[in-house]
Amino acid sequence: MKRIGVDVGGTFTDLIYVDGDTFAVYKTSTTPHDPSEGVMEGINQLCSIVGAEREQIDEVFHGTTIATNMVLERKGARVGLLTTEGFRDLLHIARHKRPYNFSIMQDIPWQSNPVVLRRDRHVVKERVTAPNGEVLTPLDKEAARQAVRKMRADGVEAIAVCFLFSFLNPTHEEEVLDIIKEEFPEAYVSLRSVVSPQFREYESFTTTSLNSYVGPKTASYIENLEKMLKNSGYSSATLHLMQSGGGVATGKAAAAKPVHLLMSGPAAGVQGAIWASKLTDHSHIISLDIGGTSADIAVIPNLKPGMRHLLDTQVGGYSAMVPMIDIATIGAGGGSVAYMDDGGFFRVGPRSAGAVPGPACYNRGGMEPTVTDANIVLGRLGTELLGGRMTIRPDLSRQVIEDKLAVRLGQSVEESSLGIIEIMNTNMIQAIEKESIRRGLDPRDFALFACGGAGALHACSVARELGIRQVIVPASPGALCAVGLVATDLLYDFSKTEMQLSTKPDIARLAKDFALLEQEAKTRLQEDKVKEEQMSLQRIAECRYLGQGYELRVPVEQGEITEQTFQAITTVFHRTHLEFFGKDYQDTPVEIVNIRVEGIGEMPKLEAATIPAGSEDPSEAYKYSRDIIFKLDGKIDTYSSKVYDRSKLKAGHQIQGPAIIDQMDTTLLVEPNCVATVNPYGIILITIQ
Amino acid sequence: MSEAIGYIQGTDIKRVSVDPVTLQVLGGAFKMIAQEMGIVLYRMSYSSIIRESEDLGAGICDAKGRQICESENSPMHAGSVGGYIQGILQKLEGNIHDGDVIIHNHPYYGASHTPDVQINIPIFYEGALIGYSAINAHLVDVGNAGAGVAIDARDIYAEARIYNALKLYERGKLNEQLWDMILDNVRTPSMNANDINALIAAAEHGKKRFLELIEKFGLETVFSASEEWMDYSERMLRREIAKVPDGVYHAESYLDDDGVNLGKPLRVSTTITIHGDSLTVDLTGSSDEVMTAFNVPFEGSTRPSINTAIHDLFLDDALHSEYIPQNEGLERPVHIIAPKGSIFNPNFPRASSARFNQVNRMADCIVRALAPVMPERVSAGSSANIHYIVYSGFNEEVGEYWVYGEVTEGSYGGRYGKDGIDTIDCLIANTRNVPIEETEWHLPLRVERYEIAPVEAAKGKWRGGIGVVRQTRFLENGIVGCEGDRHFNSPPGLFGGGDGQPASLVKNPGTDQEEAMPSKVSADYFKAGDVVQVISPSSGGYGNPLERDPQLVLHDVLDDFCYLENAEADYGVVIDPVTKLVDVEATARVRAARIQEFAS
Repeated sequence: MKRIGVDVGGTFTDLIYVDGDTFAVYKTSTTPHDPSEGVMEGINQLCSIVGAEREQIDEVFHGTTIATNMVLERKGARVGLLTTEGFRDLLHIARHKRPYNFSIMQDIPWQSNPVVLRRDRHVVKERVTAPNGEVLTPLDKEAARQAVRKMRADGVEAIAVCFLFSFLNPTHEEEVLDIIKEEFPEAYVSLRSVVSPQFREYESFTTTSLNSYVGPKTASYIENLEKMLKNSGYSSATLHLMQSGGGVATGKAAAAKPVHLLMSGPAAGVQGAIWASKLTDHSHIISLDIGGTSADIAVIPNLKPGMRHLLDTQVGGYSAMVPMIDIATIGAGGGSVAYMDDGGFFRVGPRSAGAVPGPACYNRGGMEPTVTDANIVLGRLGTELLGGRMTIRPDLSRQVIEDKLAVRLGQSVEESSLGIIEIMNTNMIQAIEKESIRRGLDPRDFALFACGGAGALHACSVARELGIRQVIVPASPGALCAVGLVATDLLYDFSKTEMQLSTKPDIARLAKDFALLEQEAKTRLQEDKVKEEQMSLQRIAECRYLGQGYELRVPVEQGEITEQTFQAITTVFHRTHLEFFGKDYQDTPVEIVNIRVEGIGEMPKLEAATIPAGSEDPSEAYKYSRDIIFKLDGKIDTYSSKVYDRSKLKAGHQIQGPAIIDQMDTTLLVEPNCVATVNPYGIILITIQ
Repeated sequence: MSEAIGYIQGTDIKRVSVDPVTLQVLGGAFKMIAQEMGIVLYRMSYSSIIRESEDLGAGICDAKGRQICESENSPMHAGSVGGYIQGILQKLEGNIHDGDVIIHNHPYYGASHTPDVQINIPIFYEGALIGYSAINAHLVDVGNAGAGVAIDARDIYAEARIYNALKLYERGKLNEQLWDMILDNVRTPSMNANDINALIAAAEHGKKRFLELIEKFGLETVFSASEEWMDYSERMLRREIAKVPDGVYHAESYLDDDGVNLGKPLRVSTTITIHGDSLTVDLTGSSDEVMTAFNVPFEGSTRPSINTAIHDLFLDDALHSEYIPQNEGLERPVHIIAPKGSIFNPNFPRASSARFNQVNRMADCIVRALAPVMPERVSAGSSANIHYIVYSGFNEEVGEYWVYGEVTEGSYGGRYGKDGIDTIDCLIANTRNVPIEETEWHLPLRVERYEIAPVEAAKGKWRGGIGVVRQTRFLENGIVGCEGDRHFNSPPGLFGGGDGQPASLVKNPGTDQEEAMPSKVSADYFKAGDVVQVISPSSGGYGNPLERDPQLVLHDVLDDFCYLENAEADYGVVIDPVTKLVDVEATARVRAARIQEFAS
């Protein structure tokens, strides 16, 4: 099976080709005006490099930020909203809480840049209510028709239909859909009962509206890309797109629910980390992806990523109530600026020097010290970057650190540089602690998976501070997203608000609802031509104690729904609550709020390539030695450290720190009292002693 | 270890110098501990006033009750946690042991007000008491005169049950009699039991995390870093105050009434004196204390609200890239004068549970007072009220009351370069609403309207924010209580902007039983089918409306923030009613004539 993964980032488009144990990677520039150009150029190049016939490519997996950028740049479609009379402004009111506590001048994104302008929010008489979806007020179809005509006349491009409680009874929304088909057939339409059939009206309305906001352009992008693939000779290739929840969807499915693509970039990286970790002995990892401006952190117990909490599933200040892998992003990267603030405190980030002007050592006009400059001064980064394509000026690093920090702190340049690294690491350590502790997990039970351009440079210190014993560095830390794309299964998520109490179980209803969702999931997978034996369904119940406001996810076993099912859900929920909060309430009824079914279509497994084996002695990869500065037991000292070429390392090689392992897209720092070992798949495991 | 440079104030802990890197490490850790406490509480708590509104304050204090860090969930609790500890110490100093869990809500001993119950856990290290992990939250009912509210209470005994530094646990052992006593005297015992347990879990978490920090960095370093961070916050605030010209600045406003003596407005007077890098907030001239619960506990509410107003103005979160922690340092440059016996500093035993409107209006006055010298940092008059509406009824099946409190959002006045914010919690308030689909599912209520209030925005170069309208029907017989204000007084415009509009509370609007309700309601009995409608204030405009960009006026017209027929009168903007385009020439003509008219 011949597979291609294409991950479009801000600057580069990363590609990977996989066929059995044949791997090839390729990098090309992203073409922001139309990303599909870069995608096609990359695919064509990659095929000719590996000598693959175009018509033999089976699958193209694609990670795209097209929908995300539309939201961040506020460049989506003009959306019209049709909603229940009396509730015109739910999108404008949101949860009526300000982002900042102490601020008069703050911006409120959902008001200053609404997904739907107020003039395009139309109301009609209709009302459905809980708990059984009873119709209190029938739909005023004539008013709905007039509203749709008005939207069309006003130049609306896409419509969202959002009625209160429509997840209990979608009839009114479906009636409106029929009217739209008659009056405005070319409009892109999202129904709340289809896109986001869950309670909490503000989040659900926004999710549905965002779907329409990004819908038309995303759909035409996908359609266009599929056409280009066919026209360029990829006659048997199926296009799949990465979703925020960690699985891929076919082009058709993604075009119908593009809101699921909003956080797909980091999700692919996490999938890549999981795949690579399976080639080690570790099953609990914390991935730390450090780039130029930010660091992404994901805590992944049992190699199963957590799902983000409802209150945190936001994009560009808007709530999107869709499954998103729980990834925390903090403003700490190689370009983070170190400075003395107005109150005389030593700070690092979150402001970044970016690519331009960049760190001082890039000699592009950067006048402020950055984390990269500190790494240069300390000898941790070499003076050639990107395999020699970029030359570094260490003198400029020294100069800015001296002028801006060391003089004011009364320290040596080296001491200030170590301070920069330490504060940078602290920001990441505290974020990792927060991410693990808030889920009741102890970081010491995990391995630290280092990726991104700078992850492996900081990983040893971060791990040591957290009490983590081992660091994993994958073979290509920079191409992890592309790896993740081809290593991912098909995944579709279907959900429904259930609201059942463990003390008054309605077994028939739960069985019926799960069966309904399972049928939806199966149909979806069958449409993707997934064979029965590759299909699996995962049931999930989102539960809380009666009276609480937030749910926890509980897996539900397969098989017939019986009284035992309720008991099992309750038992697992008590345990999960105890893990998360250190307390459970055995006597309080458990409320099953939402149920979900994940339909998984298993893709052929991605095989890993091995590297040649060697002895423990890594001398054949030795390049030269250079001085690196460390602080050990409070003492700053210079250590002569060996530098190795990663491409020449063999399985079994052991490297005693302090040492550097250089590769094209990253630098590994093996700190003193650490030992790096190369495993058969070229993955480096660093043990912290 | 660094050399000692004296002792930490009020303790025998040596103050040492802390290196700049460790300072950052500990600053981040302080912030995180308090945040985690807040997260533990609001994600596992039961009442919506905690979990959605986040009406809570959490933090670690030293042994004297000075706050080291706080969770910043609610601006109402900016710096409130330490006041409780100081109140507790007046009774229990010398009698506090490892394993004690102390419950406290006495408004004359530091509590924010009686519903905000704080759980306090002492932290011992090597046998010595070094501080407290403490967290307070609004319990939906504390045995008030009415369910969840007590407007007409004449003293604190009529207002609520008082927990004056009581040990719920003593040396680790639960006092079951006390626990029963507490729960037997509230309308919502199940909810309170779970919420108090959640508070204890959150406080235990804070204690554990703080001790881990001390194990790792040492007692002296941790406490010395805390001192450094207080000094830092103080420095940052002083720098900003120093940028504002010295002088005396004044603003005032009027609250509707005390809830009993209707038609008798109450004055709020703020005089700000800026002197170099410090300032005085003088509340002299504000109304005397009242004989209802409409008074403000000084330590627990007046002071934290002033902290918030000052933080808003001088260290606006959106304008400062560095995180400046809310700690005692921010209080040092600010001197407060609140005459004893005034509404902002009442005498025992005056009741004081309904205090939000007074402090919010006071904050708005502080903002407006400084408008002449901080025009780019202030807004025109904001809603600066709340309506805290408590819906309740008796659930026969369970044998308990259901009590549900809802904070109605307000709006902000126009700002320099920006329109006011619509339908949002204002100044001292920053809560989250409860989803309608949650309310209807679990309570005998139906929400029938929730949208931007049907009024025009106050005119201005930058328009005022608009309030909300929310309408709820009882499906069973029930009770309404309300702590509200601003039914008579409109948020004023600034620098030529128009005034906003007041709030209202109406029973059965649009029917022949329509009845205007006062802003404060102790207990009004509603029948099944009755409706309550609240409209919150719309805020004032900022600057001359004739200078508003005509295209923005057009957008206002299209979005119903300004009515087409008023665009010319209010803004001098002529819009073609058919094409819905700005008539540029006519607009220029009208505006020129208007300016001429004004000049002559």
